[in-house]
Amino acid sequence: MSQEVTEQRVAVKLNEEHCSRCSICRSLCPFEAITKDAKTKKVLLEIEKCQVCGICYSACPAKAIDTIYYDCASLINYLEKAKRKYDSDTLVIMCKGSAPDFLGVERLFGVSKFIPLSVPCVGRISEELFLKAITMGIKEIYILACGEDYCRFDRGSPITGRRVLALNQLLEQLGYGKEAITLKRNSLKVKADTDLCISCGNCAFYCPYDAAKLDSPGGAKFDLDSCRGCGLCVAMCPAIALDLENWERERISTLLSKLLSEMKPPKILVFRCQWAVFPPLDGEFSPNIRAIDLPCAARVDTFHLLEAFQKGVDGVLVAACPEDDCKLEKGSWWAQHLVAKLRESLSQIGFPDRLHFCSVAVRYPEDFDRELRQFSQRIEAICSKKGGK
Amino acid sequence: MIVTAQKPLDEVLDSISPYGKVLIAGCDGCTQPPRGLREARTLSQLLELGGRLRDRNFAFKVATVVKQCDSFLTASALKPLMDDVDAVLSLACGVGVQTVADLFPDLPVLPAQNTHFMGAEDREGGILEENCVGCGDCLLVLTGGICPVTRCAKGLLNGACGGARNGKCEMNPAKDCAWELIFQRLAKQDKLDLIKEFRPPRNYQLKAWRLTP
Repeated sequence: MSQEVTEQRVAVKLNEEHCSRCSICRSLCPFEAITKDAKTKKVLLEIEKCQVCGICYSACPAKAIDTIYYDCASLINYLEKAKRKYDSDTLVIMCKGSAPDFLGVERLFGVSKFIPLSVPCVGRISEELFLKAITMGIKEIYILACGEDYCRFDRGSPITGRRVLALNQLLEQLGYGKEAITLKRNSLKVKADTDLCISCGNCAFYCPYDAAKLDSPGGAKFDLDSCRGCGLCVAMCPAIALDLENWERERISTLLSKLLSEMKPPKILVFRCQWAVFPPLDGEFSPNIRAIDLPCAARVDTFHLLEAFQKGVDGVLVAACPEDDCKLEKGSWWAQHLVAKLRESLSQIGFPDRLHFCSVAVRYPEDFDRELRQFSQRIEAICSKKGGK
Repeated sequence: MIVTAQKPLDEVLDSISPYGKVLIAGCDGCTQPPRGLREARTLSQLLELGGRLRDRNFAFKVATVVKQCDSFLTASALKPLMDDVDAVLSLACGVGVQTVADLFPDLPVLPAQNTHFMGAEDREGGILEENCVGCGDCLLVLTGGICPVTRCAKGLLNGACGGARNGKCEMNPAKDCAWELIFQRLAKQDKLDLIKEFRPPRNYQLKAWRLTP
């Protein structure tokens, strides 16, 4: 047996040779993952604290930071291919936190033909890429980002705002019109149907932000300014009176059916917290695997998990961040709890081992690959034992 | 609130197996956690999957009632749904199940829950504990709002028994000694003299089984 110890692959690396020690990355990092050694003056990256927001990558003037996700070269490569594929010179960049798909783009920006680009936080897109896109012949860029005080990476959204402002001024001077880049903001909020509320108080209990209150007759009230859109109350409401903007039950169900129609058996569906797993830009999975992104693992819903099985999925994997990495409050914890309960129910009806929860950190990309591989193998074994059922 | 627990699903599947079309009736009332529309729908999904594995094709209707123990509300909510239903699977406590069974005596009404006790949820850890046995002779005024009939393993009215260790009951070390809690509460309220007050044995005749409202 090989005793070789291989170094764990990490998502972000700081290249000491190129680093000019300017400390811009350190001042921008929302997670205090970058420090400066007082003696050597070297800039150091503590990967355990890094949440892979990519802000440091996008801001480093010396290009001393490498990332395996959405780096400039792969984004340019994607844009070149996508421009031909979608036959469009309009680019729509969306923060993954805004929606699971591009269905709302036409209503928001009035464009129907466009190149879609969905990234976890638009704050990771550098000026360089915007300018490259324009030189590539892209005429209009639309961005849908989260509200400034709503960014899961804290500083990503404000940085996007400043970048767009500066870039538009620059592009105007260069003769590209007044607003080459259009930025719109959207922050997910809970949607409550008070007619259905049974005043049980679950939302008030579960809401980590005190946005839900049940202190007067007439059902629960929501303070939308405090709501962070994690979706925990939606998953926990016993009266199905709540829904989450852009992640409505119906919308996820529609997406689920669409994905299932293109899958081959043994079908494996992944519900992934979009901060736990960053999908590659294209051609992501083998034909039997598809994924649905969630705004936080807290939005994982028993309906959709069971609906997947009802519609013929053989295995469902729920991927969430490790508890400490949860961008919201306790989202991963509650998701794990919910999945464990449902697993127990599934084994009672004679359907064990089909649902699995894993916590994976995006900073270690191999974590998710390994979990998915192991789960796929287990599901394949179950299915072949049952004669391909 | 009434605390119930979901019956093992294989047991529920067995109980509905003779029937084709089943109405799953939730209850938004006092069951904790609330067994409303979500639980009813989730249960229908689970039972449909379980049915398939047993080569059974159940058809489910899903509904919820404000309070299943209220026969008037339950009748008006469920009657319009009963036409082609072979059985009702109730998510309510035992009282709700019996109310539905009395309303529709021709139909089998099956419980999906085991009813445990009247209690409350500790909102920190999600633990549910029994707080009241409905003895018909409430003495909480003397005991600092802590019921020894329910929470003392021996149901002592004149405690403590002396068997407690580190504040825990000698019969069940996971349980707090009710009389130690009472002592601390009364001390806090400067009402320790109440603990010396002699309480005569319980009068079991006060426990009613029928009352006029």
